[in-house]
Amino acid sequence: MIDNPIIFYPSAVLIILFAIVTLFARNIIYSMLSAIIVFFFGALFFYVLGSEYNAIIQAAIYGLAVPIIIGISIMFCSPYSKKEKAEGKNKFLTPYLTILSGGIFLLAFIYLVLMSLAMNPSTFHYLGNLQVNSFDTIWTFAKGIFINYVWAFELISLLLLIVIAGFSMLKRRGI
Amino acid sequence: MMYNYLFIGLLLFIIGLLGSMFVKNMIKVLISIEFMLLGININFVTFATYCDNINFDGYIFALFYIGIGAVELALALYLFYLMYSKKQSDNIEKYSDL
Repeated sequence: MIDNPIIFYPSAVLIILFAIVTLFARNIIYSMLSAIIVFFFGALFFYVLGSEYNAIIQAAIYGLAVPIIIGISIMFCSPYSKKEKAEGKNKFLTPYLTILSGGIFLLAFIYLVLMSLAMNPSTFHYLGNLQVNSFDTIWTFAKGIFINYVWAFELISLLLLIVIAGFSMLKRRGI
Repeated sequence: MMYNYLFIGLLLFIIGLLGSMFVKNMIKVLISIEFMLLGININFVTFATYCDNINFDGYIFALFYIGIGAVELALALYLFYLMYSKKQSDNIEKYSDL
């Protein structure tokens, strides 16, 4: 586990900022790209917290696979029609969003500077009293998945199988 | 430091909740639901790291949630595609007659 404020605070500000940008972006592609950044920062948080396996899964599924699915669905649907573009929705929201984002960045910067001034240099290093051994983590992962929660694991496998079969059936029926 | 991580998880959950309630675009609603799941997962991992340093149950739960969330998103996008082919719009207000 890396308990480092220099990593945490900028990441925290950026993840919240990009989450807000995802909701308010006019172009759905920008929204999707912001969502990818949020998911990667989530993976970073998992890694910093000592769960490397979850970080890899998060980056692989939410950072790569899910955006591909979303991108394909955007490509098939092309949600922003010319009519909606011509209406110019959220036209008056952009200045407020810019001011809000700039304010958040400014507050985060001031807070970071104040924190770095007041911080003890020893906190830049790994904490000695709270460390997660990577090998122990993987071992407990395996123990949790294959011993403690094996029924939940099998149930999720069954769920994934049902989803795949359902997709193929829907496709065969031509829905 | 633990409360900072929990606070970030809470903020992500609130952003996702507000987005799923008030945003009109269907794809953004689905992404907002994923933000809620991400916030929950951050809280799970945080509690597992700081409070359950032996079994790491929170890591396992987060792993399950990631898998289920990806499946849910794939299903939801397929349903959205089916609905879009009939409605020709991504505005969720036009999907009220399900």
